[in-house]
Amino acid sequence: MPVKIIIPGSLKRWFEGETEYSCQGDQGERILDCIDRLEKRFPGVKEHLIDPKGNISNVLIFLNGDNLRSLDGLSTTVKDGDEISIIPLAAGG
Amino acid sequence: MIQDNPDSKFIFIFHPKIMLGKKYTIRNGQEMTNGEVLQFWGKWIVLGEKLWLDELAIKLDPFVESKEIPVIKYDRVPSVNLGIEECVMMVYCDRRDRDNVWQILSRFGVKLKAWVTEKETMEMWLPGGQLLERWIESKNFDAATQNVVREDSQARLGYIFDHPDEVFVPWEQ
Repeated sequence: MPVKIIIPGSLKRWFEGETEYSCQGDQGERILDCIDRLEKRFPGVKEHLIDPKGNISNVLIFLNGDNLRSLDGLSTTVKDGDEISIIPLAAGG
Repeated sequence: MIQDNPDSKFIFIFHPKIMLGKKYTIRNGQEMTNGEVLQFWGKWIVLGEKLWLDELAIKLDPFVESKEIPVIKYDRVPSVNLGIEECVMMVYCDRRDRDNVWQILSRFGVKLKAWVTEKETMEMWLPGGQLLERWIESKNFDAATQNVVREDSQARLGYIFDHPDEVFVPWEQ
């Protein structure tokens, strides 16, 4: 089940220069599971996205355009073909 | 029309009627209230190099002229002090129109899909909000100045939350 991750230039240093990445996962898995998969591919990225308390920090994360804050946060589930966009926190203001 | 005033942090694209004092927060001929703005108003976020955003602005200007997009603003320079290396463009519209506006943006190569409500932005700039507190920290203000900044933010943004039935008044930027 591919989920596309879209990354702006400002954050590509966390993703080894990638601006798009296709994350293979299981049907019905959570955004948090996707981030764990990202961590395996791009070590260190998780600590940029999530603070030690498990909250989204430094960034805003969107599923098909909608902010995870207005969905179920990191527990939001994804399906085949979904797109996750990540932007720096300050870009939202 | 594109308004590029070197004294402003932002470059704006708005309908010429805005120059005549008309507001862009209008729906079906009615000015939106604070409560409606908090409920429906927001923006698609576009990040990119300044030159690319300049080119995109020229392509989007006709859609502002035709009122399909209410207003757009973008950075003249990146907000490096807030950790952003690219310029940010904000393409504003009512949530109920956002799918149409997204179709326009995607036609011109925008891939990053990020909708931020005005309510979310205001909450981040209220005292205790992540953006206001980070901005204060980046400026190294003394304690007294920090308090003034927080009080000003509370007065300006808090008013919008506290007076939902009043007509929304955009502030100068």
